[in-house]
Amino acid sequence: MTDLLWLIPALPLAGFLILLVTEGRLPKLAVALVGAGSIGLAALTTFVVGSGFLDAGSEPYTQTLWVWMDIAGFSPNIALYLDGLSLVMLGVITGVGFLIHLYATGYMAVEEGYSRFFAYMNLFVFAMVVLVLGDNLLVLYLGWEGVGLCSYLLIGFFHTDAENGYAARKAFVVTRVGDTAMALGLFLLFRELGTLEIQAVLEGARVAWPAGSTLCTAVALLLLGGAVGKSAQLPLQTWLPDAMAGPTPVSALIHAATMVTAGVYLIARMHDLFLLSPTAQLAVAVVGLATLFISAFAALTQTDLKRILAYSTMSQIGYMFLALGVGAWSAAIFHLMTHAFFKALLFLSAGSVISAIHHEQDVMKMGGLWRRLPVPFWSMVVGSAALAALPLTSGFYSKDIILLTSWDFASGGPWFWGVASAAAFVTALYSARMIFLVFFGTMKTEPEDRSGPNMWGPLVVLALLAVGGGWFGLAPLADVLPDGGLNSHEHSTSLVWITAAIPILGVVLGILIFGSKQIKVDGLLRTRLAETLRRFWFGGWGFDTFYDQVLVRPFVLLAEVNKNDVVDLAFRGTAALARSINRMTARTQTGRLRWYASSMAFGLAVVLFVVLEVL
Amino acid sequence: MNLLALILLMLAGGGIAWVSERFNPKAPQWVALFVLLLAGFWVYGLWVSGDGPIYAETKFAWIPRFGISVYLSLDGLSLMLVALTLFLGVVAIASSWTEIRERTGFFQFNLIWTLAGLVGVFAALDLFLFFLFWEVMLIPMYFLIAIWGHENRGYAAMKFFLFTQASGLLMLLAIVALVYQNYATSGVLTFDYQALLGAEIDPDIAFWIMLGFFIAFVVKLPGVPFHTWLPDAHTQAPTAGSVILAGVMLKTGAYGLIRFVVPLFPEAALDFRWPAMVLGAVSVIYGGYMAFSQSDFKRLVAYSSVSHMGFVLLGVFAWNQLALQGSIVQMLAHGFSSAALFMLAGALQERLHTREMSDMGGLWVRAPRMGVITLFFVVASLGMPGLGTFVGEFLVLLGAFQVDVTVTVAAAIGIVFAAVYSLSLMQRSFQGPPNTNVETMADFGLREMSVMLVMALALVWLGIFPQAVLEMAAPSLASMGVGAP
Repeated sequence: MTDLLWLIPALPLAGFLILLVTEGRLPKLAVALVGAGSIGLAALTTFVVGSGFLDAGSEPYTQTLWVWMDIAGFSPNIALYLDGLSLVMLGVITGVGFLIHLYATGYMAVEEGYSRFFAYMNLFVFAMVVLVLGDNLLVLYLGWEGVGLCSYLLIGFFHTDAENGYAARKAFVVTRVGDTAMALGLFLLFRELGTLEIQAVLEGARVAWPAGSTLCTAVALLLLGGAVGKSAQLPLQTWLPDAMAGPTPVSALIHAATMVTAGVYLIARMHDLFLLSPTAQLAVAVVGLATLFISAFAALTQTDLKRILAYSTMSQIGYMFLALGVGAWSAAIFHLMTHAFFKALLFLSAGSVISAIHHEQDVMKMGGLWRRLPVPFWSMVVGSAALAALPLTSGFYSKDIILLTSWDFASGGPWFWGVASAAAFVTALYSARMIFLVFFGTMKTEPEDRSGPNMWGPLVVLALLAVGGGWFGLAPLADVLPDGGLNSHEHSTSLVWITAAIPILGVVLGILIFGSKQIKVDGLLRTRLAETLRRFWFGGWGFDTFYDQVLVRPFVLLAEVNKNDVVDLAFRGTAALARSINRMTARTQTGRLRWYASSMAFGLAVVLFVVLEVL
Repeated sequence: MNLLALILLMLAGGGIAWVSERFNPKAPQWVALFVLLLAGFWVYGLWVSGDGPIYAETKFAWIPRFGISVYLSLDGLSLMLVALTLFLGVVAIASSWTEIRERTGFFQFNLIWTLAGLVGVFAALDLFLFFLFWEVMLIPMYFLIAIWGHENRGYAAMKFFLFTQASGLLMLLAIVALVYQNYATSGVLTFDYQALLGAEIDPDIAFWIMLGFFIAFVVKLPGVPFHTWLPDAHTQAPTAGSVILAGVMLKTGAYGLIRFVVPLFPEAALDFRWPAMVLGAVSVIYGGYMAFSQSDFKRLVAYSSVSHMGFVLLGVFAWNQLALQGSIVQMLAHGFSSAALFMLAGALQERLHTREMSDMGGLWVRAPRMGVITLFFVVASLGMPGLGTFVGEFLVLLGAFQVDVTVTVAAAIGIVFAAVYSLSLMQRSFQGPPNTNVETMADFGLREMSVMLVMALALVWLGIFPQAVLEMAAPSLASMGVGAP
C-alpha cells in the first residue's frame, strides 16, 4: 500500500488547484468539502500507507517521481521518502490538520474569502507534507519555503489591515534569514559530500567526518540557523507573536502544530550531523533552553490570549530543542506530537472563546465564561493541564522524559534540568493564570456561542488526544533515531518525584494567586522593579526593540537617503559638466564682429607667444 | 532552413506593419502578431525537427576582403533565447494592444525591428554581423522610448542611447582589436567566431580587449555601477518596450558574456574572475536594496532586474556547469517574471494613470485577479522553490560556492533582500486598506489573463521540470569546454 504515498501530497495540492481555478465561485459547502475533504482523504491515505508500512516491517520506502535536475553530479530527484519519523510527522500533519480544517469550516464561515482561505490552507498542507517526505534536502527545502509562503499568506489573510501585512512580511523575512543560512549549509554539504540526498548525506558524513570536525560543525550550525528561524527560537523568534494576526485556525495549524516544529524535524532528520558535532548539539540545547526560559516569562505577562499561546508555543518548542540537544531525540518528536494535540486544542478553544465574545482577545476583558462556554472551557482546561504537564496528560509523559534526560546531559546536565524545571513551573503558573482570567471571576462580556458540531467535534477529539496521546508509544521512531525510541533511563526516585511535582506546585500557586486570591500579589506587582520586569517580559525581553533600532531603522533610513541612487551621480555629474561647458562656450557666440575680431587677435597673440617661447 | 530568411522575414514584416497603418490604425498590430507567430512557428519547427547540438546554421561569405561572412547559427542556448525573444514579442504586442493609439505603424515597425535585431544577436557567430545586429536592436528601442514613452521620455531615451552607444563603441573597438591581433599573429583577417576562438593574443592585450567586451556587456546586463540607465529607461518606456528590454534585451549582455567574453579570452577571464564575481554579488545586493527604496512600481521592478541579473554575472564567472546552467535558467526565468511584472505595471498605469505606489494600496479588493497574478510573480521574483527563478539562483549559488565562499555568502544575502522588496511591492500596491482615490478598477480580462497564465505556467515548468532546458543547454556549454559533450 506504500505506493500510494504520492497521493498524500497530491490530494491537498488538488484541493488547492480546484479552489484556485474556481476563483471563489463555488458555494460554501463545496468549498468546505474540497478544502477539508482533501485533507481528510490525505489523512485516510496516511493511515492506509502507514499500516502498510508498519506491516512490511517499517522498512524505509523511497518513491521517485521524476528527475528534478541532473547536472555534473548534482542530481536531486523529486522523490518521497517514508520512514518512521516521516510517518509520525505525516500523522500529525494530516490528522491534526484535518481536525483544524474541519473546525475552520465553521469558524471561517462568517468571514470574507472563504475559498481563498481553504486554498491557502490546502497549499500549506501540501508544502508541509513535501517538507517531511522529501528524500533529499532540496525537496525538503521546497516544502520548507512553501510552508513559509503559506504562513505569510495566512498571517496576512485579512489583507486590508496594514498591520496584518506587516506581521506577515516580518514572519517571512525573519524566517528567510534562517533559510538563507540553511541554503548555505546545503551548498557546503554538496561541496563536501557531493550529494543532497538525506540518507546519503548522513552516511557520507559518518564516513568522511571525524567526530568534532569543523566542517560538520559548520554545516550543523547553518542548518540550526534554518531551524531557529522556522521554529521561532532565539535569536530569530520575534516573528511568532506577531504572526497571531492570522485567523485562529491558522495559528493552530501553522504556528503551533506543524510548521513551527519543522526545525525540530530538520534537526532530528539530520541527527547524525549533530551527533558528530558536540558543539552544534550543545548549541541546540542552549538555544532551546534560553528560548523556553525567556518565553515562559513572556507568556506570564501577556494580556492577549493568542499571544500567551504564541509565547507558550515558543517555549514548548524550546523544550523540543533542548531534548534534541541533550540527545533525547525520540522524546523531542514525542513532545512535538503531544504538543500538536494540546496546543491545537488550546488555540481552537481560544478561537471559540474569541469568536463568542465578538473577537475580543484581551484576557483582562474576559472572565466568568466557564458556564456559558462549556466545551471551550473544558477543552482549554484539558489543554492547559497537558501544557503544564500535569501527571496523566500527554504533555506530562513527553516533557518528563525531556527533563529527566537533560539531568544526564554531559555538559552541565543539572543546570539544564534546573532552568527547564523552573520554566516548567512558570508554564504551570501561566496556564493557571490563563484559565482563571478567561473563565472565572466576573463576566465582562456576554458570550454568544454559535459553534456547531463541526467546531466542537474537533475540540472533543483533540481533548481526548491531549489526554491520551501520551500512550502512543511511537515505536516506528526506534529505527530512525539514534536513541532507539523512548527509553526510560534510571533516575533516583527523588529526582523523578521532584520533576513530576514541579508543575503541580506551579498550578497550586496559580490557583492561590489567580483563583482563590489567597495570595495577594498586587502590592508586589506595584513595586518599580516588578513593573520594569513586567514591561520587559511583556515586550518579549526587548528583542523587537533591539532589532528595530539596530537593523530595521538604519536599513529603511539608508534606503530613503539613497533613493535616487548615489551611483548615478557620476553619470549625472558628467552630463552636468558637459552642459556647463556647453553653456560657457555658447556664451562666446555673441554675433558681434568686434568681439570675434578681438578674441581672434588675442588668440593669435597667445599662439605666437607660445610658439616663440618654445622655439 | 535559412536563418537569414527568418530575420529578413521579420525586417520585411516590420516594414509591412508600418505601411499597413494607412489602411487601418489597428492593422499594424495584427500584421506584427502574424509576423511574429510565423517566425515563432519557424523556430518551433527548427526546435522539433533539429536534434542538436546545432539546430540550424547559415553561412556564406559577405565581404570576403575583410573576412566578414553572414554566419548565423542556432545551438541549444541560442535557440532558447530566440524562442524567448519571439514569445515575449507576442506578449509585448498583446500587452500594448490597447495602450498605443498614435503612430501605431511606426510603433510596430520599431518593435519588430528590435526583435529582429535580438534574434540576430543571439544567432550571429560573425563578430561584425553581431555588432550590426547589436545596433539594429538598439536604435528602434530608442525610438520606442523616445516617442511612446511616459512623461520624462526624452531624458530616459537619451540616457539609454548614450549608455548603449558608448558601450557599443567600446565593443566595436574590442572587436577590431581582437580581429587585428588575430591577423597579426595568424595572417588571416576574419571576423569568424570559431576562427577567433583559437586566436593567440598577447596576454596583456587580451586582458584589455576582454575588458572592452566585458564592460559593453555588463552595461547591457546591467551590472553595478553601469546600471543607472535601466531604471530610467524602464520607467519611461511603454509597456511593450519594458517587456522587451527586461525580458530579452538584458539577456544579450549575459549571452555575450557566456558566448564571447569567457570562450574568447579564457585566461584573461580567469584572471578577472574575482572582480567580476564581486560585481555580480554587489549587483545582487545593491539592486535589491535600491528596489526596496523605490516608490514607483516600475522603478522597483527595474532595480529588481539589476539584482536578478547579478546572479547571472556571478554564475557566468564562476564558470562551472552548475553555475552556468543556473545562469541560463535564471535568464529564461527572469525573462518571464520581469516581463509579467512590467505588464502588470503597464496595466496599472493604463487603469490608474500612475505608477506611484502611494496612489495604490488595497487594489486586491478592486481587482482580485490582478492581485493573484501579481502575487504569483512577486513570489517568483523572491525565488520560491518550484518556480524557475529558484532553480536559476540556487544553481548559480551552488556553483559559485565551489569557487568562492565569501562572494557566494554575500550574494546569498540578496535572497533576504529579494523577500523584502518583493513583499513590499505586493503590500504597497495590492494589500492594505483600499485607496479611496481608486473607486473602481477593471480586472484582467481574457486577453490579459491568458498571457499571464502562459507566463506563469512557463515559470512553473522551469521550476519543476528544468531538466529539458538543462539538457538543451548542455551541448552549448560543452562546446565552450564546460562539462562533457
